[in-house]
Amino acid sequence: MQEPILSVEDLHVKFKLRGKTLHALRGVNLDVYRGESLAIVGESGCGKSVLNKNFIGLLDGNGFIAQGQIRYYDALEKFKGSPACKQDGQGRMYVDLTSLPKPTDWLSIRGSEVCMIPQDPMTSLNPLKSIGKQILEALELHRGLKGKAAREAAIDILKDVRIDDPRRRYKQYPHELSGGMRQRIVIAIAIACRPKILICDEPTTALDVTIQAQVLSLLKELKTKYNLTIIFITHDLGVVANIAERVAVMYAGDIVELGLVNEIFYDPHHPYTWALLSSLPQLGHRGEELYSIKGTPPNLFQAIHGDAFAPRNPLALQIDHLEQPPYFDITPTHRARTWLLDPRAPKVEPPEVIRKLKQLGGKAIGNP
Amino acid sequence: METREKEVLLKVRDLEVTFGNSWHRFKAVKGVSFDVYKGETFGIVGESGSGKTTIGRCIIRVYPASAGSIQFKGREITGRIPKELDREITQKIQMIFQDPMASLNERAKIDYIVSEGLQGRGYSKAQMQEMVTAALHAVGLPPEFATRFPHEFSGGQRQRIGIARALIMNPEFIIADEPISALDVSIRAQVLNLMSQLQKERGLTYLFISHDLSVMRFICDRIAVVHKGLIVEMADTETLFQHPAHPYTRALLSAIPQPNPDVEKNKVLEIYDPACHHYEQHPPRWQNIEPDHQVLCNEEELATWKTW
Repeated sequence: MQEPILSVEDLHVKFKLRGKTLHALRGVNLDVYRGESLAIVGESGCGKSVLNKNFIGLLDGNGFIAQGQIRYYDALEKFKGSPACKQDGQGRMYVDLTSLPKPTDWLSIRGSEVCMIPQDPMTSLNPLKSIGKQILEALELHRGLKGKAAREAAIDILKDVRIDDPRRRYKQYPHELSGGMRQRIVIAIAIACRPKILICDEPTTALDVTIQAQVLSLLKELKTKYNLTIIFITHDLGVVANIAERVAVMYAGDIVELGLVNEIFYDPHHPYTWALLSSLPQLGHRGEELYSIKGTPPNLFQAIHGDAFAPRNPLALQIDHLEQPPYFDITPTHRARTWLLDPRAPKVEPPEVIRKLKQLGGKAIGNP
Repeated sequence: METREKEVLLKVRDLEVTFGNSWHRFKAVKGVSFDVYKGETFGIVGESGSGKTTIGRCIIRVYPASAGSIQFKGREITGRIPKELDREITQKIQMIFQDPMASLNERAKIDYIVSEGLQGRGYSKAQMQEMVTAALHAVGLPPEFATRFPHEFSGGQRQRIGIARALIMNPEFIIADEPISALDVSIRAQVLNLMSQLQKERGLTYLFISHDLSVMRFICDRIAVVHKGLIVEMADTETLFQHPAHPYTRALLSAIPQPNPDVEKNKVLEIYDPACHHYEQHPPRWQNIEPDHQVLCNEEELATWKTW
């Protein structure tokens, strides 16, 4: 039995926008286990970034948590005696991240407990400061290091993220570095805080394929070295297959399928997961039309009835339009929110691409 | 080897592009030659900084070529060219850009953005309106969109507007510079489908520039691999995937993310180290390693790389 480090229960997040309310997260349930790497996959606007911003208290000003809980099973000594420190049903103590009494309480979570690697390395570094100084900032603030010790620690971290000649790089400025190097610096800053959870928000979309592969292997290495729990936000299923142990597929502010990475790729059950996998160009054939999901994601200003994916799903059942499906467990680690798993549902075969992927197993696609 | 009977639309020979002034010279493209046949999709793949975008921009005459020639339908289009030819090729060669968020004028309405290329070509307002409607229809957007601003659209819709802007000129040749790398996976599929549908309907020829070989395998007929301003390998798409010869191509292929966890777990990354070549004594030449498959290598490498 794995122990959760972060647990989200029935989380609803809403945004007030031009006098209307946007229901961005519609009851998300998710456990993040200590030391795992979890990938959250979905289209833009499905709420994957919003979900993660809750973990570091950086929700936009017009957003608020309408309902639900985020439990963080760590950092208890920092919150001793605070009303945010509570006990759950199984007697475990946790910090309730939805009801921190003061905004400044976030300072002891953000960085040293949960840290985020933003998407674009081009815009997330300060162009006026040398990269050494930017890593120092994190070290001084979160680990209380000073002077020479801090400098040496910064150089060590630069070595850890595989920057060659760290002493020279220490004095350089972001514009002198390439995109891949800058992303490594951003990772270095995050690692410098010694966080327990590292949230990577599409860290490789702005990078070349070769650099992307290197950054991913670096992240895996750092995960073992620093005992990190990694939450990986992405829309690229190729990246997910590489780094994740578990995958959560999000659609319209809800997790529609959750399972181990092999379960999601070789035995997916939700039609949305099928659609996502089928639309990958890697699985298409030249000259034939690539599967694409028809329509657009639902408007979250309006209440959604039934399965949110039903209007775009050619295989939707009648009940999909009426009632939201519950989670059906497929294995103890794999569940999906679709009526197709109901014993009364008609038997629907997954599309051909999915079956092909299953047959391929460990073989590379298309390669001899 | 069968001879291709296809018509050559674009012929690039020993193209060089140099930036900077006489003190700081930088050769971004160092002598590139290739042919693009009519109706095909020709891919240029490479990492950032390899010069792939520069080649594309040089063809569309944004950057001047410092040496070499580019011929479009047999006529030279580099350097000083007659005004009529310039008008003709600005109509016949169009470009689709990478980032749909940055490539549309935020302050102009869609009808202006799409019709901008028609200005000064002697069309009346009503004609232009009609053409905008037709172009929007061709990319699957309703005509009402013409009166809106770019910020009202999603990334996929914006990219469609970018394509409509190219289509309205009725081009023969479209340079697509990473048209889908800024888009979501599901939108990618839509844009790729749209591009191949338009190719079939209108007999377009594409030059597809990207760093992602997995997408290129899906859309390109032939691929040229560019590294540091030189084409190092060129072949039909499937040949390139089955028999990659140059170590740089192999490195690129090994880095493709596969949507297959078991494969990814056991993946071995090949890292390209230019020091593996010994070009001091035996400089590389452009050689046929098999029919329709050329590699930049010397004799010794030619023998060792041919492993199939």
